[in-house]
Amino acid sequence: MVDVSRVQKELTECNRDSDVSGVSIALHDGGSTITHLTGTIAGPLDTPYQGGIFRIDIRLPGGYPFEPPKMQFITKVWHPNISSQNGAICLDILKDQWSPALTLKTALLSLQALLSTPAPDDPQDAVVAQQYLRDKSTFVNTARYWTEAYAKSDSTGMEEKVQKLVEMGFPEDMVRSALKSVNGDENMALEKLCSG
Amino acid sequence: MASEDRSVSHAPEKKEEAAATAGFDDLVDPRFQCCVCLELIYKPVVIACGHMSCFWCVHRAMDYHRQSYCAICRQPYIHFPSICQLLHHLLLKLEPVEYKKREKEVLETEKSNGTHSPQNIDLLYSKGNNYENGKDGDSKLEGSKIGFPGEDSVDVSCPLCKELLYQPAVLNCGHVYCVSCLPSLGDEALKCQVCGGLHPGGFPNVCLDLDHFLEEYFPSEYESRRNQLKPENSQYNPEGSSSGTSCSKDNMDRQAKGGTNVQKNLNLSNVHIGVGCDSCGVYPIMGMRYKCKDCTERIGFDLCGECYNNRSKLPGRFNQQHTSDHRMELDNTRLYGGLIAQLALIGAGGIGEAIADDHEIEDDTDEDAELL
Repeated sequence: MVDVSRVQKELTECNRDSDVSGVSIALHDGGSTITHLTGTIAGPLDTPYQGGIFRIDIRLPGGYPFEPPKMQFITKVWHPNISSQNGAICLDILKDQWSPALTLKTALLSLQALLSTPAPDDPQDAVVAQQYLRDKSTFVNTARYWTEAYAKSDSTGMEEKVQKLVEMGFPEDMVRSALKSVNGDENMALEKLCSG
Repeated sequence: MASEDRSVSHAPEKKEEAAATAGFDDLVDPRFQCCVCLELIYKPVVIACGHMSCFWCVHRAMDYHRQSYCAICRQPYIHFPSICQLLHHLLLKLEPVEYKKREKEVLETEKSNGTHSPQNIDLLYSKGNNYENGKDGDSKLEGSKIGFPGEDSVDVSCPLCKELLYQPAVLNCGHVYCVSCLPSLGDEALKCQVCGGLHPGGFPNVCLDLDHFLEEYFPSEYESRRNQLKPENSQYNPEGSSSGTSCSKDNMDRQAKGGTNVQKNLNLSNVHIGVGCDSCGVYPIMGMRYKCKDCTERIGFDLCGECYNNRSKLPGRFNQQHTSDHRMELDNTRLYGGLIAQLALIGAGGIGEAIADDHEIEDDTDEDAELL
C-alpha cells in the first residue's frame, strides 16, 4: 500500500517552492488517484532544453516509498538517457539506487540535472547517444529544435490561458485542473469552471 | 491558523512558537523528522552509521534477502538495531502531543497487521535490567536531565563517564555512549554496560541529530565537555560521524571489520529469506536459524546460531511473549537454497528462471518479508 500521507506531504512540500526549484507535481489529468501523478520540470538554463517545460508521467508502485516511482517523459525530448520513442528514462536512482529517503521532488530535480549533464556512456537511446558523441553540434540543434517543437508552444499557450481565466476571477489551481481535464480548450474550461 | 506553544525549545529558557494545527510540517525542529515517512520519528532506531528513522520505517526499508543500505548515506548494514530508549523518551518530552498522536496511529496499524513493535520501552531502561557491572542509575548528572515541571526527566548522560553525552553514538542494543567512551567497552566487540548486549560489526558513528540537539540544549555544559575532551581525545574526529565524510583510523579499522561481517551476506544459499534474529537483530539470518516452537505470535520468534549459543535473554523485537523455557528448534523452511530447490521441483520453469525472476520469490515471501 502506498503511504498516502507521505505522498500528500511530498506534493505540498514540492509545490511550495516550485517557482524557485522549477519542478512541480500534480495529480494526473486532474484525476483523483494519488498513485498517478504528472510532474513538470523547467529545462535548465544554458542547455538546449532552456525555456522548455517538460511533463513527466509518474506512477507510484504499491511499495512506494520503499520502491522507486515509475517515471517517464510525456513531453518528447532529445537526450541520450531518455528514449526519443517513448520517454523511458535511464537513471540509477529510479532503479537500483533508489532510497526511501529520496522524494518525488528530489527525483524530478535529478531529472533536471540529467538534462544538464547527459551520460552518453550509459545510454537509453543509442541513436541520440551516438549523435551526442560523434556530432555534438547536430545533437544540440536537434535537442533545441525538439524543445521548441514539443516543450514550448503547448505550455506557453497554456500559461496564457491560465492567466486569462485567473484574471476572470477563478482560483489558479481550479483553472489549471479544468484546463487539464479538457486538454487545454479554453472555452470548454470556462464552461466547466462556470458550471461549478 | 491558531498557534500554540509546543514547549519545544533549543535552550531551556527560550521558547519558540509553532502552528498547532498545521501538524508536523511546521515543527520547530525538523531534525527529528523521519526521512522515510516524513512524520515525527516514532520509536527511533539509530543505525550504525548514525542515521535514524522510525522503528517500522527502518524495518520496512531493510532488504529481506541481503544486506541493507542506509536510506540517507547508503552505508551497508545487516543488523536491525533496538529502539533507542533515550531518544524515545526525549521525543516524548519534546513533542508530547505529536508523539502521542503518532503512537495512536502506529498502534492502529500494528493492530490491523497483527504485529507489534516493543510496547514497553521502559523495560530495557529499568535498573532491574542492569547488567552485572551496570552501575546504579542514581549517580546521574543533575544538569544533564531534560525535565519539565511535574514530570520525570530524561537522562542524557553517558552510562560510562556519567557526564553529558558528547558526540553520542548508539549501540545496536539502543543504548547511547559518548563515542570517546566506546573503546573501554571492549577491544574485539563492544559490550554494552547497561544491558550486556554485544554490539555486532564496527564502531558506530556519532548520531549527529542527537549531538546537535545536546549542543543547543546544553550549550555551556556541551562546551565544557568539548574543552575537556579536546586535548586527550583529539583522535576522535567529529567528522567520523553520520555525515559519513571521514573517519578516524580506529573507526575505519572497526568499520572494516564490520564490513567483512556484512560481506558474508553475499552467499545467498544460506540466507533465511525474510527471517531476522530477535536477539541481535541480524536480518536476514544467515547459516543456522532457530525457531521457537511455543511462541504463538504471527511473527514468530527466531534466533541466529550465535545468539542461540549465547543463550541471549533479551526480549523479542516485536513484543513476543517469549520465555526461556520455550523450546527452540532448527528451522530451514525459509532457507533460500531450499526455496529454490522447491520451486525447481514444482517445475516453475527451472532453477535459472526461478532465480532470475525476483518477483517469484517476492510473491512467495511477501507476507513474511515484512516480518522478522
